[in-house]
Amino acid sequence: MTIEELACAVLDACEAGQVEHMLTGAFAHGLYGIPRSTKDVDVVVSISTGDAIREVTSHLERIVRFEPQVQFDTLIWGRRLVGESRSDPPFKVELFELFDDPFVLSQFQRKRRIQSVQLQREAWLPTPEDVIIQKLRWGRNKDLDDARDVLAVQGLETLDMSYIEQWCSQHSTLDRLSDAREGIPPLD
Amino acid sequence: MLGRLQFTAAHFILRAMEPTESDCPAAELKAMQDSIYRERVLRARRQTPEERLADVFELTNSSFARMHEGAMWQAGITDVDAGWQIVRKRLDRLRGVHEAGRFVSEDFPRPS
Repeated sequence: MTIEELACAVLDACEAGQVEHMLTGAFAHGLYGIPRSTKDVDVVVSISTGDAIREVTSHLERIVRFEPQVQFDTLIWGRRLVGESRSDPPFKVELFELFDDPFVLSQFQRKRRIQSVQLQREAWLPTPEDVIIQKLRWGRNKDLDDARDVLAVQGLETLDMSYIEQWCSQHSTLDRLSDAREGIPPLD
Repeated sequence: MLGRLQFTAAHFILRAMEPTESDCPAAELKAMQDSIYRERVLRARRQTPEERLADVFELTNSSFARMHEGAMWQAGITDVDAGWQIVRKRLDRLRGVHEAGRFVSEDFPRPS
């Protein structure tokens, strides 16, 4: 199985379960920044009822083995369900539940529909501004590089920098934003 | 006059001894890093979003294939499944390092 086949299966499962969703992680970064490899398919899912996530995972049961226990991230306490493809290569699937964090909700509300030939469908992805804010918020080295990449490839003149700065101010990540901007060498 | 000449000569000698950008490995390295990064950014800018997304898929599939080949070569085995088992273990270890302290189970006490 290829990573795009797995991504298609996850999106199919969300659609079958009528679960609103959005691709995130390396797919979102790659769309707007410098493409890099990944080890997983990351999807934010809007779960209105407790059974909805089980419906998604049950649709994937044949190809993905999900861990029985839900995890929480220690930054914003979002819920994550992790699975691994049953066939090789051992790709991971991460389902992040949408929850009442103001930025997470705003990012999901602003998501865009993108046509993808490889995924053979239209897929929902975050805006480049929201990818930058999210990456700066997470703040691991890889995330900071990703944020810089999106800033560099999209160009500051095309991005809504005041929107980015507003959220970075709320997340106390303006220093990270400044470092990311300064990390871009002259491109001319 | 002699004193002034001596000062000027010493000044030139000292200036000549100062590291220039080309003598300094750190500056050279930084210039090289910037140049490589610039090329990557400009290449990404020439691509459409769809092409960049396609690159993510291609890079991912090929990096897993390379990891698998490397694991089998290193272990000296020809068993494909055993090769993937090694890759799986390595990825789990890597994940443990990258996610240390980042995620906790449902039972973990959350701050109020």
